[in-house]
Amino acid sequence: MLQPLRLIRIFIETSVRNETAYNANFWVGLLNSLLNFGTGLLGVIVLFGQIDAVGGWSFGSTLAVLGVYLTVGAVRDLFISPSLDSLTGMDGEVWVGTFDFTLLRPVDTQFLASVRRWRLFALFDLLLGLDVLAAAVTRLGTTLTAIHLITFLVTLAAGTLTLYAILLAFSGLVFWSPGFLFSWVFDGIFQMARYPVRLYPGALRLLLTWIIPVGVITTIPAQALTGELSPVVLIGSLGFSIALLVGASLLFRGGLRRYASASS
Amino acid sequence: MNHRGGLALIEQTWLSWMQHRSFFFLLAFGWMVPPLIYLFVWSTAAGGGTIGGLTRGEFVAYYLVLIVVNQLTYAQTNWTVGDLIRDGRLSKLLLYPMSPLYNTLATELAGKVVYMIFAIPITAILALVLRPELHLSAGQVIAFISALGLAWLLRFFWGYWLALLAFWITRADSLLALQDALIFLLAGQVAPVALLPGVLKTAAIALPFRYMAGFPVEVLTGQAAGVDLVTGFALQIGWTAAAIMLYLALWRRGVRHFTAIGG
Amino acid sequence: MTQFQIIVQDLTKTYRVPEREPGLKASIRSLYHKTYREVPAVKAISFRIEAGERVGFIGPNGAGKTTTLKMLAGLLHPSGGEALVAGFTPWQRKPDYLRQIAMVLGNKSQLMWDIPAHDTFRVLAEIYHVPASQFDATLGELVDLLDLGDLLSRPVRNLSLGERMKCELAASLIHHPAVLFLDEPTLGLDVSMQRRLRKFIAEYNRRHNATVILTSHYMADVVELCPRVILIHHGELLYDGPLAGLSEKLAPFKLIRLALREPIDGNLPEGIHIVSQENGSLTLRVERRDTAAITAQLLRTLPVIDLSVEDPPIETVIDQIYQEGAI
Repeated sequence: MLQPLRLIRIFIETSVRNETAYNANFWVGLLNSLLNFGTGLLGVIVLFGQIDAVGGWSFGSTLAVLGVYLTVGAVRDLFISPSLDSLTGMDGEVWVGTFDFTLLRPVDTQFLASVRRWRLFALFDLLLGLDVLAAAVTRLGTTLTAIHLITFLVTLAAGTLTLYAILLAFSGLVFWSPGFLFSWVFDGIFQMARYPVRLYPGALRLLLTWIIPVGVITTIPAQALTGELSPVVLIGSLGFSIALLVGASLLFRGGLRRYASASS
Repeated sequence: MNHRGGLALIEQTWLSWMQHRSFFFLLAFGWMVPPLIYLFVWSTAAGGGTIGGLTRGEFVAYYLVLIVVNQLTYAQTNWTVGDLIRDGRLSKLLLYPMSPLYNTLATELAGKVVYMIFAIPITAILALVLRPELHLSAGQVIAFISALGLAWLLRFFWGYWLALLAFWITRADSLLALQDALIFLLAGQVAPVALLPGVLKTAAIALPFRYMAGFPVEVLTGQAAGVDLVTGFALQIGWTAAAIMLYLALWRRGVRHFTAIGG
Repeated sequence: MTQFQIIVQDLTKTYRVPEREPGLKASIRSLYHKTYREVPAVKAISFRIEAGERVGFIGPNGAGKTTTLKMLAGLLHPSGGEALVAGFTPWQRKPDYLRQIAMVLGNKSQLMWDIPAHDTFRVLAEIYHVPASQFDATLGELVDLLDLGDLLSRPVRNLSLGERMKCELAASLIHHPAVLFLDEPTLGLDVSMQRRLRKFIAEYNRRHNATVILTSHYMADVVELCPRVILIHHGELLYDGPLAGLSEKLAPFKLIRLALREPIDGNLPEGIHIVSQENGSLTLRVERRDTAAITAQLLRTLPVIDLSVEDPPIETVIDQIYQEGAI
């Protein structure tokens, strides 16, 4: 029962050792975090320096979307991306062949592939994201009720799960095309989640809501925070993220089977 | 200098790049996304009216041109120069009877062709769907081409001298990340420079970053005209000259330093 | 049945590879109608291995050795046949099975590159549920046997290839596997390091009665480590038995080396093939069954200083099979 937690603990410890092997990375990481935070924030400030609202989204609620974007992105950088990225690309395990070792371990492969590398510096990004969320709430001037907060946390968790499912599915595709950097494609699309999906034109909005649902990841939790979320959307988004997770796991497992039958 | 050797190198580099084009298409796609986001954000915000004097269609035109200009001027080779210095492969290049600058230029030119193969069709499709408003005159086009050439020179050499700091500083590539962020903010990506609030706008006009991407676009769309156009060109030429001089000075000192410590 | 650690029956693996014809037309056609070609890699091989045996898989590149090894380790799903290793079907990949085995791949590393190997070991101990006391004891033994010394506390990237390989071996033994698959464990190592690793593997096998299956291109590994060899060629099992038997079966001849007082000009007896001739020394190849008679005849007719009879070097024998593809 406690085995997964103990494994995660030792993965975190080992990752910390791995990172402290390079001191210089700390300053580079700090710089990149601040740049990501600064450019995101200034983007919203510049936009709302010219207008008061766009498509029903005020400065405060757009800031909430950015806050969710930064927060979810921080969780992604904390362990999802560092772990999954080591599978893909030209120096990835599947291409190089060291994935055999991962398969040999007596632990669920998907679990192992998802939690084995951590980047604790992302906790700083998490802090910045929460700051932006706090600023958004202040700006909106609404008082947070317990219900608000709970629906927000639930949708935030659903959003994070959705993000994980998408990244897992993209990593699973590596078994069909070992050298292709699927996660790069997603990186580009994920950036669009900085702004409410409402700001994008029709076809793109549909794509971002249903096909590559980055909208679910950021727009819906922000709506929960501002109290504009209907119960239908709440339950729908939860069901959606669970369905996506199941689908992604099936795809990943299908990839493992393919690896076992086709690799040479 | 050995120009024929340089040309052969360019050809060879291009051929090898075409074989990995899907990889470079992915890179190009990544660079396209930020301006695309702000294209949608600003054109939605403008709706039926205007913001800062720009209509929806004008925002579309501005950002579509920016996408192409940004891909043309983005000097991705600057990232590899630092790697060459750090891992000592530069010493191999110093053995060739031509300047290593050719190597970088070869990759740069090869890259541009591949990126355009990706960017132009996509921009054309977007233009058909999003209906930009663009009124061109022959004068604007000529001025645009000169501004574009200068922008590429400026961005290339500015990044190159920053990358050369790798001779002395281990993580000089962080400065390139900083430059990318400043270009995002000040070179007309997050918003056309004219729409930036007070301090940012002043900084954008004075610093070199606007002249690496945003300025040629403003020239083509007619946002930079009259006095603005003249001072813009003056600043662009000034910064380009400064970047080339910095490159020359740092290259000479750097190679001396590199050979002295033995790579 | 149960005394066998590994039972393999008609194990078969056929790869399906997409057929690519040259030309634009063909590549467009292949977009909607992919044609596949069946490439047999392992063809219905069967063998049994007892617990504690050391067995060498030999055969030329592409013979199917690694494919067989990977099927036994559960990394590949076979196209047909059965296998039972330590009582499990490998490709079901049950955690209880995976805890029984270990695999070393000579050209790939399981160690984390930037930190000391000891950190990788701790992670592995957690993954394989190795209790702390057992971990310390195992590690102590491995440090002792492999002479790891301070290697474990240095970042892996600072180790030489040989030092790293010692750590790789140790990493795969942390959980006391009952079956050890070694795929080219000595690849690229210098001769003395190869010898050290071989000594270690033999000693480990003796102490813990672990079953060892090894593939190697260095015949010395096989000669020194494996009392039994399994020869695989074109996916078929050509020979299974002691190494000495292989050369007897494959090379029905012996080599006679002679040192002579003066060069000879006359004819040699029938059935003798001269392998090399240099000044006063002569190497002859003769049929195995005629060896005694010919030796006696040579001693009688030639000005012999010294004479010795040898088996041909195993490399020559193996090379002959690889070239001819049959016994």
